[in-house]
Amino acid sequence: MMLLTLIRLEIYKIITKPRSFIGFAAVTGVIFVIQFALYIDGKTYWDFLIQSLKDTFEIQGVIFNGNLVCFIILQMLLMQLPLMIALVMGDLVSGEAATGTIRLLVTKPVSRARILLSKYIAGCIYIVLMVAWLGLLALGLSVLLFGHQDLVVMKNDGITIIRDADLLWRFFGAFIIATLSLTLVGTFSMMLSCFTDNSIGPIIITMAVIILFTIVGTIDIPVFDKVKPFLFTTHMIVWRNLFDNPVPKHQILQSVGILLAHIAAFLGISFYHFTRKDIQN
Amino acid sequence: MVFSIKYLENAKYKKRNKMKSTIKRSFLVGFLALLIPVGASAQSPKQILAAVNQKFMKVNDYSANIHLVFNLPSVTIQPIDGKVYFKKPAKFRIKTKGIIFLPKQNPYYSLAALSDTNSYTAFTTGEEKIGSTGVIVIKVSPNADDNDLILGKFWIDKANSIVLKSQLTTRSSGTIQTESSYGANANVAYALPDKMTLSVDMTKFKIPKMVSADINSKPSHSDNEPRKGTGVITLSYSGYAINQKVPDSVFTEEVTK
Repeated sequence: MMLLTLIRLEIYKIITKPRSFIGFAAVTGVIFVIQFALYIDGKTYWDFLIQSLKDTFEIQGVIFNGNLVCFIILQMLLMQLPLMIALVMGDLVSGEAATGTIRLLVTKPVSRARILLSKYIAGCIYIVLMVAWLGLLALGLSVLLFGHQDLVVMKNDGITIIRDADLLWRFFGAFIIATLSLTLVGTFSMMLSCFTDNSIGPIIITMAVIILFTIVGTIDIPVFDKVKPFLFTTHMIVWRNLFDNPVPKHQILQSVGILLAHIAAFLGISFYHFTRKDIQN
Repeated sequence: MVFSIKYLENAKYKKRNKMKSTIKRSFLVGFLALLIPVGASAQSPKQILAAVNQKFMKVNDYSANIHLVFNLPSVTIQPIDGKVYFKKPAKFRIKTKGIIFLPKQNPYYSLAALSDTNSYTAFTTGEEKIGSTGVIVIKVSPNADDNDLILGKFWIDKANSIVLKSQLTTRSSGTIQTESSYGANANVAYALPDKMTLSVDMTKFKIPKMVSADINSKPSHSDNEPRKGTGVITLSYSGYAINQKVPDSVFTEEVTK
């Protein structure tokens, strides 16, 4: 019961901070801009992109549809969204330390572990709401605007066409993996937040790490090939594999396992440090 | 004595002559026997093609159920069911609830190209076997220089007047090979196949770049995929409804997006 009260309190704290809405505003803005642009020029742009395909085949069916728009949005946004999460999760502990309220908080008859757990659960609820909002706009609104049919996924090594009836569970799975990835970033950010007394540090470090890991993961230089499997950003984009045929279940489960292991490690460090944190200085 | 010797020699000579004429006659009969069937069935390549066309011309239109299976290099598409419509001379449309890739020429492109026997030169290149069926191989070269068809090769089951295999080299789509099987299909009388396998030349095909970068994918080709450059699309037909007056509107709806 006490934990529920603490969680409610933490959610209230998150809601009352303007920065919590930056993420929602950014997601809404970006999605609206993409949808508007694709609504006006999308078909012409897409026809240009698939010209070589049309030179070889007669294509029947609506390639440019809501499912494709959603997929494009997810590709663009899911790598940027962690930064929005860091804004909130990086402030969970260090924000209290900066304002001095942490002293008041830990003097309450509640264990430090419970306090941190309530903060973490509130942060996770924020992430789930963010992904749900993303899903509603990216999939729901796109399907409403552009209709729905099979999804054409273009990768470096080929094209996969997934039937409309086979898509909903894949998008659902993608949102779950996205939630897990963002939770990992949030946990990392919160862990850093436990070590500092100001919020800028954890937010900036989280952003820097994600940018660095993404760049290393993107550059196709052999020396990085051995490092890539150890970068959590490599596993954060495993949601894309759900749009392969057949679905590489083993690879997805392995990446999900690695994401969970990272979360557990970061969470463990957070609890270890926070329960021993000197709040007197 | 001399008389008897001459008589004997004369008898031998007559016997030898008789044998010679019998052998000659046998050869002549044998030669004629060989010639007669050939003469009776010797059709020109154009006549054979005309017979194939004549059979197919019995079909004014048809609709049928269709099952499409795709095996294209670098392109993964799940199989799909749909409905196929055809109307003379060459209107062809497959309706499915999903996206499909088809060769630019419809499967009856070759038969439509052969309808005007004056527009091409045809010559026989030999006989082959497809499965257990003997076929005659005919090559077709259009007379007009600007024709999209550069060269056509047809493997024809003469007994049933049906094309079992065709290979068309076109300016617009490279080489398209079509293999048809008629199986237990009662519609063999109309030259309508149970199954059609279309091989498409994909050497010029390039994978389009997606709107956003694909970060960690590497080429992953399996041995089950067709040889690079050749895509195979299999069309399985069932439930033909022939000459039931398919409306033109079926073919005029927008198909490509």
